[in-house]
Amino acid sequence: MLRRSRLLGGVAASVLAAFSVAHAADHQEGTLVVALETLGGQTMDPILEDRAPHAHYQAPIFDALIGFNLEKGGLGPGVTEKWELAEDGLSWFFHLQKGLKWHNGDPLTAHDVKFSLERTMSEESLSSRAAALRRNVKSIEVVDDHTVRVYTKGVQVHFPAGLSRAVFQEGQLMPKNYIESMGVEKFRSDPVGSGPWKFVESVPGDYVEFEAVEGPHWRGTPNFKRLRILLVPEESTRVAMVRTGEAAIASISPESIREVEAANLKLISVPATMQAIYQFWGMYKDSQKDSPLADVRVREALSLAIDRQQIIDHVMYGQARWPMPFATFPYAVDTDIEKWQAWGREALRYDPERAKELLAEAGYPDGFDMKFANTALPGTPYMTQIGIAVADFWQKIGVNVDIKHYEWGAFRLLYRGEQKSLTGAASMFRTAGRPVAVARYSGGFTSKGGHHLFGEEGNCNDFCQAYDKLHQEVVTAQDAELRAQKTDEMLTMVADSWIAVPIIEGMGYWAINPEKVGAFKPIPGRHEFGDVFERMPRPDQKPW
Amino acid sequence: MRHLPLASFAIIGTMVFVAVFAPWLTPHSPIDQSLPDKLLPPFWEEGGSTEYLLGTDIFGRDLLTRLFYGARVSLIVTALALTVGGGVGLVLGIVSGYVGGKLDAFLMRVVDAAFAFPTILFALLLAVTMGQGMDTLVIALSLFLWAGFARVIRGEVLAIKQRDFVALARVHGSSPARIMFVHILPNVLNTFMVLLTLNVGVIIVAEASLSFLGAGVPPPTPSWGLMVAEGRGKITSAWWLSLIPGIAITLVVLSFNLFGDWLRDRLDPKLRQL
Amino acid sequence: MQRYILQRLVQGMVLLVVVTSIVFFIGRMTGNPVDMMLPEDATEEDRQDMIERLELDGSVMDQFGVFIVDAVQGDLGTSIRYRKPATEIFFQRLPNTLAMIPPAMILAIAMAVPLGVISALRRGGIIDRISATIAVLGISTPNFWLGIVLIYLFSVTLGWLPSSRMGGPLNYIMPTITLGTFLVAGFMRLIRSSMLETLDSEFVKLARIKGVSETAVIWKHCLRNALIPVLSLWGVFMGGLVTGAIVTETVFAWPGIGRLTYEAVIFRDYPLLQAVIIMDAIFILFINLLVDILYAYVDPRIRFE
Repeated sequence: MLRRSRLLGGVAASVLAAFSVAHAADHQEGTLVVALETLGGQTMDPILEDRAPHAHYQAPIFDALIGFNLEKGGLGPGVTEKWELAEDGLSWFFHLQKGLKWHNGDPLTAHDVKFSLERTMSEESLSSRAAALRRNVKSIEVVDDHTVRVYTKGVQVHFPAGLSRAVFQEGQLMPKNYIESMGVEKFRSDPVGSGPWKFVESVPGDYVEFEAVEGPHWRGTPNFKRLRILLVPEESTRVAMVRTGEAAIASISPESIREVEAANLKLISVPATMQAIYQFWGMYKDSQKDSPLADVRVREALSLAIDRQQIIDHVMYGQARWPMPFATFPYAVDTDIEKWQAWGREALRYDPERAKELLAEAGYPDGFDMKFANTALPGTPYMTQIGIAVADFWQKIGVNVDIKHYEWGAFRLLYRGEQKSLTGAASMFRTAGRPVAVARYSGGFTSKGGHHLFGEEGNCNDFCQAYDKLHQEVVTAQDAELRAQKTDEMLTMVADSWIAVPIIEGMGYWAINPEKVGAFKPIPGRHEFGDVFERMPRPDQKPW
Repeated sequence: MRHLPLASFAIIGTMVFVAVFAPWLTPHSPIDQSLPDKLLPPFWEEGGSTEYLLGTDIFGRDLLTRLFYGARVSLIVTALALTVGGGVGLVLGIVSGYVGGKLDAFLMRVVDAAFAFPTILFALLLAVTMGQGMDTLVIALSLFLWAGFARVIRGEVLAIKQRDFVALARVHGSSPARIMFVHILPNVLNTFMVLLTLNVGVIIVAEASLSFLGAGVPPPTPSWGLMVAEGRGKITSAWWLSLIPGIAITLVVLSFNLFGDWLRDRLDPKLRQL
Repeated sequence: MQRYILQRLVQGMVLLVVVTSIVFFIGRMTGNPVDMMLPEDATEEDRQDMIERLELDGSVMDQFGVFIVDAVQGDLGTSIRYRKPATEIFFQRLPNTLAMIPPAMILAIAMAVPLGVISALRRGGIIDRISATIAVLGISTPNFWLGIVLIYLFSVTLGWLPSSRMGGPLNYIMPTITLGTFLVAGFMRLIRSSMLETLDSEFVKLARIKGVSETAVIWKHCLRNALIPVLSLWGVFMGGLVTGAIVTETVFAWPGIGRLTYEAVIFRDYPLLQAVIIMDAIFILFINLLVDILYAYVDPRIRFE
């Protein structure tokens, strides 16, 4: 079952390649200008960049081992046409596309893949998952020029997902020959990749510029001759630039949706790029035994008090969706999507009457006092507004909410170590769109995870231990059916705990000037356009 | 001699009045939301209603109500920052200028340090360390103010202490403290007042800039600067969000300035002698 | 004079060390760059690993020692975010900010001097009132808001000017107005009030009695004296200028050091933050020294002891 779907993916890739070849006859002209709120560190080396910036301006240059399902979101073929788990479950095979070339003309082979993975895992790498890769990978073997075999430590059923640009950056491929012969410094100042765009220049704090490859490219052959990504920190300025035509595309937040529509620009909302959530910290600790929030009925009541439709309609200006369970999206693997969408509509409904009943049952008919830490990740400023709206809904059922704002960097300090100032409090949080929920659950709920919402090492009660065990079963289940069943149990356990609760499923928002770029479709779940630029038509061309 | 600036008094008085009596002046809450009523225009525009005279913000909160409560926050922040920052600057400026020598050199180097350290960054650092809040804001704004006051006042004192009446006081055996605070102080009050009036605007606007950079008064608490900053993205679709608090800021700052001019005429010892 | 300058330079060095130490320790209280780099699903193990790779492990005092030893040798460290020497990044961006300041200063002075002098002479008259209003508008308009309004007016609606970014002379117009307006107001008020004072002083009366022409009295004798507080305020306005630069660079997507500094704070890029502050401090200390020397030149009453 699993293997057949991968093969189908391979077929899709060939169809796509044929499609691109057909388009390659078109000439390339003009410059596509994109204005972004951040360019991250503007490093051109894949092992030095964070996830979001890499997907904006490294993706045009570099291909990833595993790519996207362009229609649905989630995983699809990349440089690897198909991938499969060995019978014993202890190694993965990656079968590469044939005939790929680096920008300097060298062929792209399995040696480059081995080199890239090893470089990503190395000590000099700043990839966030470098440590995890080191923990999970035993060795990498080049079987032949187009086959790589990765031996893992134990069974790693979700290993390939970690090499897809659908969420991660660790699957990016770098040219072995070029780096070894020219040196790392040369590679950083003058990177060579295999993507549809060649690097031209990068002016720090200002812009990055690319030039289209001439021949056909399997990801799509660019219609524009040049691509220029500008750093424009202020949102009002970005919107103005799209209006004047100085930029064709600009990233925006929901707050600008009205401006964009009033100016007759086009709005593109990339579905399912994130989930805004709130979560309760340290509820497992002895000190929280008598806290109202320790009662699961109270936590459910707080969810029922939130009118999510109002948040979608008014805070998100209609451009958001009803959420599924924690960290799951319509393109999630191993998940019964319909069942859980139905669950979301029912369990996450707005029902203040029931909320008050539950509060009364729990012994708090007149409400109680609680602390709420509001925060927003860089790039998602609207999280603060969602947080304010949520606090207001809680106030309305009689809960006295003490809301405090934290800048993201300051907030992250709070949940290190003993989580003293967060224990017993709720906070805003979010999760990025991702096809494999379990990796996010690991950070959130296992006793070893960064948040350890269910318990921590040395203080892991029965519930916490049961979860840890279940989690282990999910990540090692080789059989697809068993894995789906265990994933279902995992979702249920977290959903019923009401400890980390989804608020809305957010989107990625872009303002588009239709006179500067033609119609195109984003990839569901991937906010950034680094893998879409090559397919964007010029304004006079057919929509993609 | 100028006439009493009645209009200024009226505007400052109104601000103080709405700040003090905000809860009794409006039926709305400055914080509670009514999302379906978001972004309603003022009553005279199409789609506006008399329930929300000046329209509503992105959470459907009454703008007029937030303006009233915002006056409260802005006044408190400005008054505290001026008292602390201006006061410290005044005293240090006089002492430094009059005593001179090593103390002067030392204090001026501290002032240089305060300038050398971009205060807005200090405010940012404070905001990310202590968390956003009024206390953080007042500390940051005071740090922003004191050095400027001290330096200008000290410059004035350097010139004043050369004057005959200071020498005369010294001959008469006045103590240094007496000379500084009885003889010199009235002579620098003129400049001090100019600085104060100038800085009412500076503070309100600095608070707005800090809000713009994400280190001002934390939402949902309203302050005028925060309101302008929050509404900046909607200049074309919901102009009232930033323009109305902006006009309020301008009116109040203008009034404080006219008031300061009038005060100056009253306080300037030279003008009184004439 | 030379001894004075030398003395000031030594004091400046001490000051630099103090400012740097403050930044070093406060910076480390505000958070950890690792937390800004790791995604939300990172485990504690990933975090420790990243801390080691960035050499942020070890006690703060140890790190401070390393920092001081390197700094003395002219090495201010490598930016955590940009993975390049911090000083290199600073000097890459510095010209962009420096290009923006002179036009703003010129605009401010060109407007402030005539307005200030005339309104002092026509005190209480229409011109005085108008100047005062201009001054207040300048002070009371937050410059981020002014910048955005300008963009919507001149770029979006009229289409006369490019909305933002560096480029030709046209690109300088709106940033200059945005940054300069704040200065105009302050300068003007100060020139006005010190003009008023000087006009009343003994030596102006003396000059008039001696029969010096009114124009010469005003523009030579009075203005020279009236400029003294403005000079001293130049230092005061530096703070405003830094704020203004951060805001203006943000609004107009100007790749200068204001924005760089702001991002270094938000990202907890300690080495970059330290480098930028040290460089800023050197720059401002130098300006202050220059101002003090000018001060002695313009105001003969002040002598260095």
